[in-house]
Amino acid sequence: MIPGGFPGPQGPMGPLETPTIVEPDVDETVEVARPWVVVVWNDPINLMSYVVYVFQKLFGYSKEKATKLMLDVHYKGKAAVSSGNREKAEADVSRLHAHGLWATMERD
Amino acid sequence: MARTFKRNKSTRALDVVLEPGEAAVLTRLCEELTTLLDADGAGESEQTDPVLERLFPRAYLDPTEEQAESEWQRFVHDDLVVGRRQAVQTVESSLAGALVRRGRFELSLDDEQAQAWLAVINDARLALGTRLEVTEDMDVSRLDPDDPDTAPYAVYWWLGVLEERLIDVLL
Repeated sequence: MIPGGFPGPQGPMGPLETPTIVEPDVDETVEVARPWVVVVWNDPINLMSYVVYVFQKLFGYSKEKATKLMLDVHYKGKAAVSSGNREKAEADVSRLHAHGLWATMERD
Repeated sequence: MARTFKRNKSTRALDVVLEPGEAAVLTRLCEELTTLLDADGAGESEQTDPVLERLFPRAYLDPTEEQAESEWQRFVHDDLVVGRRQAVQTVESSLAGALVRRGRFELSLDDEQAQAWLAVINDARLALGTRLEVTEDMDVSRLDPDDPDTAPYAVYWWLGVLEERLIDVLL
């Protein structure tokens, strides 16, 4: 993402003559480049139908998408169900925990 | 067996019919969940009850995110406990308000109450299943009737049936 005020692609003007370029905020760059993913892990207790229901309810996913994610959780052991910045991932994790799903978050 | 949950076509509410034994088991499970939630944060020591750990897992797997983890816990944990308590209270009050006809409990749930029922049934399954250390390939038919775990397994299995029935009418 290009920060606001950046003059755009550099033309054929002479190199090394633009010392006024502001260094981007490093932390922000990292946050944008590496969004957080929310992972739901398989567990032997939650019903498959319940997991599909929760994915549809919390994320508005279609039945097909929710079912595919549930099957990934079941057969592959986990699935990435949402992503975003840290705040969104934390909120999604707590909503999943409130619904009894085993969810964690990690950098992509 | 009568259908436990049925969408009422005129009121759009969820009509529920429970056998007396079912209502009694649900009432007891609500009490047990309340006791469990009371125990949360009651001890001085670190949380070690596997059931509480299952209901309130970590958000961050990465051990280098310990600070973010404790901040997140501080921010959401109490709300998660309160949410679970409120769901239990909702189920308890709907059971208390049931009409008992020929021994059966008849009641009607709005959408919010139905969500509380789903949450409590699922939490009770998580608590029981964690206690019993169930596995995906568990075979209920091979349980020994004299095994002290057989009764809670039966409740666990019944909760699964109840939950499937509820999800069927919520979809």
